[in-house]
Amino acid sequence: MSDSTMLLALFEDIEPAANGIERLHEMGIADDQMNVISGVPIKDTILGRPSALSHVSRIALTGAILGFLLGAFLIWGTPYLFPLHVGGQPLYPVPQFLIIVFEMTMLGLMGFAFLGMFVDSGFPSYTPKEYVREISDGKIAVLFRCPSGEERKIVDALKKLGAESVNPAEARQL
Amino acid sequence: MSALTKPLFAGSKAEEQEDPKEHLMHDRMPRGEMNSMMLDSMHSTTWKYWTVTGVLAAIVATCLFYAWYYLIMNGLGVAGVNRPVYWGIFLVEVVFWIGISHAGTFISAILRVLKVEGRRPFTRAAELMTTFGLVQAGISVFLHMGRVWLSYWLIPIPNERGLWPDFHSPLMWDFMAINTYLLCSTMYLFLPLIPDLAMARDRATGWRKTLYKILAIGFRGTEGEWKNLKTAMNIFAFAIIPVMFSVHTIVSWDFAMATRPGWSSTVFGPYFVIGALHSGMAAVAIVLFLIRSTMKNMKYFLRPEHFELLGMLMLLVSMAWAYFYFNDYLVPWYGGDKWEKILTNFIQTGPEWYLWYLMLFCNVVVPWAILWNRKWRRIPWLLAIVGFLINVGMWLERFIIIPETLTINRMPFTWRLYVPAIEIALTIGNFAFFFLLYMLASRLIPLIPVWEVQEGQESHVLRKIGKARISAVSEID
Repeated sequence: MSDSTMLLALFEDIEPAANGIERLHEMGIADDQMNVISGVPIKDTILGRPSALSHVSRIALTGAILGFLLGAFLIWGTPYLFPLHVGGQPLYPVPQFLIIVFEMTMLGLMGFAFLGMFVDSGFPSYTPKEYVREISDGKIAVLFRCPSGEERKIVDALKKLGAESVNPAEARQL
Repeated sequence: MSALTKPLFAGSKAEEQEDPKEHLMHDRMPRGEMNSMMLDSMHSTTWKYWTVTGVLAAIVATCLFYAWYYLIMNGLGVAGVNRPVYWGIFLVEVVFWIGISHAGTFISAILRVLKVEGRRPFTRAAELMTTFGLVQAGISVFLHMGRVWLSYWLIPIPNERGLWPDFHSPLMWDFMAINTYLLCSTMYLFLPLIPDLAMARDRATGWRKTLYKILAIGFRGTEGEWKNLKTAMNIFAFAIIPVMFSVHTIVSWDFAMATRPGWSSTVFGPYFVIGALHSGMAAVAIVLFLIRSTMKNMKYFLRPEHFELLGMLMLLVSMAWAYFYFNDYLVPWYGGDKWEKILTNFIQTGPEWYLWYLMLFCNVVVPWAILWNRKWRRIPWLLAIVGFLINVGMWLERFIIIPETLTINRMPFTWRLYVPAIEIALTIGNFAFFFLLYMLASRLIPLIPVWEVQEGQESHVLRKIGKARISAVSEID
């Protein structure tokens, strides 16, 4: 996109950041052209942003199903290969099934939730990214793409609303 | 006639009004300053720190690793375990450390789910205990195994020997449950750590920069990253609670599934879980006191209010433990079974009678006598002493349940008092290793989840209602 510029506006607090985002909307910058970067999680409704999409729950559920199947295989499937008759117990008992399947299901659920967080966020990633150190000091950054030629107007508008700085976003090594 | 029949209060108004700044959530500080304080505490290492670390490392090298080597080279004969007590202090340690590990999940997951705000600064300290506690439990299992190099036989791999782990056995459930818990609690430790590692990455230089850059996995704090992180943390917070309950319940089944006096009890599952929480919470009090008094800037993050919350939980858990213990004691006593009677008499009047009384003193009398008082609960060193005594009591409880109970069986000609040998050195090594890991971690990872503290401070406000200013919380995430 050669006819647009990526800018990064830095705000001290939530209130001016929310106002800045509202102003960007008014100036024709769509939600999918911006991203908010912050040192603490901020509810999307507070900033007037649409809810971010996450696939972590679905990936975790897939893990839970796989874990269930693995557990079922271990407790009910393996006795076909290695029948162990102990204490007059049946080879395919229900109580033990519940225990093993529970542990494996939970391991699958949480293991995949963990992996899902990585996959959905694109972690690990060590390539240069638009970021400034002040974000982890509590500042809120709004990263957005604006049409070329309108930078001046947008920068002025955001500074009027309390933006500490609005600069071209540079991808740098984290 | 006067409207009042008696004076309503005896104190002065000044005493009644608490300074809001006493609460961490209302004593706001710029995030940058909090970050600097945290990193400063991680980077400052005095000669005292290195001396303690060196001593701990020496103890670990001799009492744990050399003693273990000696055990391997000479066999389990150098340990005190023998007929009829085959499960000695090694198993006491396993149960004890798994119990300690429950604190992290309880504080981090249950209090997170219940939105207890006071948890914020000390969740990570507790989560670390979970991981390091499980490491000690795992080591104790390997010590108990003797021929540790054959431990892979526990893994279900088809093999020529025709050996196959029996999934119908409580020991196998234990293996599955402890591994699930270890893996999940380690992942759960790492998730909320990512933003703090990113913060450390932004400020570090040299080898620390490289380390944090790798560990922070490229986290910036975009909306999508936070959303994914919070979703994963929520899944973990809810899912790890039943896993935590299952782990110690299954540990209790290692005993309760055997039809022997003292063990065959239907109440063992919840009794073990509450015992685990009892020792775990108490251990958190000790660790928080040590962090607060030895690390720089920690007095800002860890305040009397946090010890008070912990003290209340400890008192509550102590009462619950007493309730379950009485249940477990009364029913066999009332039943009048010959072997149960002999066992009870042995524990209470036998050669080691004092252990039983000391256990009750530490687990019930001490917490009940001290923790009812709000002022006393807010004294960190006092809470640490109570925590230490509770852990002595809980260790003794496990000692009574395992070697003492095994001494008495239905074959009196085998009765023999258990006298630990190399286990004593290994136990000292275990404890030293736990503290050594903690000492090293305290200089490598932020022990306070700074972003969670800031999140809490952002969401707390003081509302004026009538003449008073009341703390109110709103959800911003």
